[in-house]
Amino acid sequence: MSLVYLKLFIADVLPYIAGIIFIVGTINRIINWAKSPVPLKIPTTCGQQKSLPFIRRTWEDRLDSPYTMCETIGRMIVEVFLFRSLFRNTRYWLDKQKGVDTRWLWLFALLFHYSMLIIVLRHLRFFANPVPGFLSIINALDGQPAYVPALYITGILALVALFWLWARRILCSRERNISYPADHLILALVAAILITGNLMRYFFKVDLYAVKEVALGIVSFHPVSAAVVNQIGWIFFLHLSLVCITIAYLPFSKVMHFAGVFFSPTRNMPNDNRAHVHINPWNPPYHGISWQEYYEMYKDQLDEIAENGYKVKPEV
Amino acid sequence: MVDIEKNGEFVKVEQKFTSWRDLLKPVTEKDFKPGFYHYPILKRDAEQLGIPYRDWDPLEPDWKLPEGWKETFLNKFKELLEKNRQFKLFMDICVRCGACADKCHYYIGTGDPKNMPVARAELLRSIYRRYFTKVGKIFGEWAGARELTEDVIKELYYYLYQCSLCRRCSAFCPYGIDTADIVWRGREMLQSIGTVQRFSYISIAACARTGNHLGLLPGGVAGALQSVAEDVYDITGIEIEVPINKKGADILFVTPSADYFATPHWYVCMGYLMLFHELEERYGFSYTWSTYASEGGNFGTFASYELAQKLSHKIYEEAERLGVKWILGGECGHMWRDKHQFMATMNPPPKTLEDPVSPITGTYFENAAEAKIVHIAEFVADLIEHKKINLDKSRNDHWKVTFHDSCNPARGMGLYEEPRYVIKNVCNYFYEMPEHSIREKTYCCGSGGGLLADEVMELRMRGGMPRAMALKHVHKRYGVNYLCTICAIDKAAFPTLFEFWKLPVEVGGMMELVGNALIMSDEEQERELDLRGNPLKKNEE
Ligand code: SF4
Ligand code: SF4
Repeated sequence: MSLVYLKLFIADVLPYIAGIIFIVGTINRIINWAKSPVPLKIPTTCGQQKSLPFIRRTWEDRLDSPYTMCETIGRMIVEVFLFRSLFRNTRYWLDKQKGVDTRWLWLFALLFHYSMLIIVLRHLRFFANPVPGFLSIINALDGQPAYVPALYITGILALVALFWLWARRILCSRERNISYPADHLILALVAAILITGNLMRYFFKVDLYAVKEVALGIVSFHPVSAAVVNQIGWIFFLHLSLVCITIAYLPFSKVMHFAGVFFSPTRNMPNDNRAHVHINPWNPPYHGISWQEYYEMYKDQLDEIAENGYKVKPEV
Repeated sequence: MVDIEKNGEFVKVEQKFTSWRDLLKPVTEKDFKPGFYHYPILKRDAEQLGIPYRDWDPLEPDWKLPEGWKETFLNKFKELLEKNRQFKLFMDICVRCGACADKCHYYIGTGDPKNMPVARAELLRSIYRRYFTKVGKIFGEWAGARELTEDVIKELYYYLYQCSLCRRCSAFCPYGIDTADIVWRGREMLQSIGTVQRFSYISIAACARTGNHLGLLPGGVAGALQSVAEDVYDITGIEIEVPINKKGADILFVTPSADYFATPHWYVCMGYLMLFHELEERYGFSYTWSTYASEGGNFGTFASYELAQKLSHKIYEEAERLGVKWILGGECGHMWRDKHQFMATMNPPPKTLEDPVSPITGTYFENAAEAKIVHIAEFVADLIEHKKINLDKSRNDHWKVTFHDSCNPARGMGLYEEPRYVIKNVCNYFYEMPEHSIREKTYCCGSGGGLLADEVMELRMRGGMPRAMALKHVHKRYGVNYLCTICAIDKAAFPTLFEFWKLPVEVGGMMELVGNALIMSDEEQERELDLRGNPLKKNEE
């Protein structure tokens, strides 16, 4: 009996708690960032600046050292969607005394994030009735029809990429050094979500119609009844509560980088500093000696320069 | 301590790998190594700049921190978070992916895990978590938070001055986290409790007083420029008049004071005088040096916003007083981070300045439209493109040249092609260093960001190792014997570095090569020597 209450709690209450924490927490974070002004325009310029007409700028230069608004947006797009900076990654081999391209991190980070994105999109079909066309297309593309039920490639890929990233943190000494418990915690949470999700799909099947009812209930504010939750196996509730816990945890974790990257002044500002001067709202007034004070201090020497006609000549 | 005389080839890099707990455990004076820690600020500089002073020694257990230091430090922390979005953001969004870890030349050269950029930032982030986030307050160490203790201050002092603010890590970070900015803020906090290094503050105080880092008085500046002109006379036989503090000139020229004081900067300065003289002869070019604004560089950018502003202010004030149209800047690294990204924001440009248009070619430097300051490489590249100066490339034939992208003009400005364009037009033999060590991936000389102090020699030699190895590659392969750089700190740092790493390569600047190649219209004899006094290679040989 008490199990039903737990299930009802997870299906009808927990998602709202998590959602509220997530939304309020995220907005809070963003407001907190936005409250502080940006005193200086500090793009990291990774390509040729715009200067003279005969100095060639390739499209890469335009993206890595943007001058116009469009170029800056372009830089943000390649940074956010293609992880431009990670694509530059190298490792320094002490014995060879040089840096060698290592793009593995980029590849697996990209695989992980895109798989997660598609997984989230796939889940949207539970929340919509009827299911919009593009979601069905994603589903169809992702599903590997050679198996029944269709094997979702992203579900597996995300897990593989996640374990690769985790292994990197455990096996590579450098990364082990800088990994806090929090870094492992978030990986563990996501891994648990992916594992329960996959188990549910392929091994411990649950009643998808009932699940959809729960999902629709959440978005339409119609809590489902005990009869509905009782049709669904425990693994679904495990999965759902892990998701809720993770979502509630996000605003307090490093995962906020997804919002933060848009605010990063080294990436979202154009490299047009000398053409358009940035204004610092709290720029303090100058404290220091003025020309007049300087003149008083070194009057003799300055007068001598003046007497010589403001120039020096070589003594030959 | 390393011995510069001994063979640098055998410096051992021991990589240490610890655990996350060690990351939070402060390194204190017991573990400070000679050659890695800086001497503290001098009394007279602290007093002049209004920084709290006390007599203390980094190797003593008691650092005699001023009363209420913890509060002062945390208040400064809070103030900086509120004033700097980038700082707040960088405190929050690092995912500890490690992409930046081995991008830092100090980490590569020392193997010390705390020299990974991410670990350097964690020094402050751990305090941030403890005092400014809820999670850190509640979970403490498990959330990567730690108490602010005297030991933590010691560690901050040790490691924040093992960063040259080169921003190499920022180029690789997926969120663009700029550890240099974090370190800059951290040093600002240390400054609030007077726990700062000696080296850069000597120059800051001198510059605030006299207008240049070296503390040269007006007569000294004039005398130095006169000596440069005399050396030009010795090589070319031309008597060049150098304008100083001249009102009504078209252009104010500013360059780091080392250019008219140190070697090999000196040859670059000869190059400036020769070029400007030639332009004056042929096109009536009019410019002036200034004693009040006799410093292009800005060591304030290694310390705090206010000090950076204090030093860069003079340039615009002087430009207005002299009534020039715009400003031309010489070869320097951090100077251009300041001139390109900071100066005009910190000091609104005066209205009296005019559009930066080259008086010779008529080119409008559109990219400098508002700040009105043009880089010498942009200016010269434009002259060459319009064929306004005559050059004899073969006068640089004794040099096999490579170009070192200095950190700040590279990652803080995007000046990559202009100097290359100039160099390729003034010398015949030019070779690039390996791809992982140039352009936006360029390695620091190891001595920037206030680290040019003698007491941190071992750190500098180790930090310069990746650059030295990249140079060794082209030295062996192509016989490169001249490293061209457009940074005054590079020019001071590299000769020692190459001596240490046993690389027989000369260091010089772009304008030295231009000076060599420049055919001057009033030069009567065939030139026999280069600016260093080396005999020129003759064609018939
Ligand atoms: S690359 Fe950026 S996000 Fe990754 S560890 Fe370094 S600073 Fe943090
Ligand atoms: S700015 Fe340069 S010196 Fe400082 S941590 Fe980054 S790579 Fe290292």
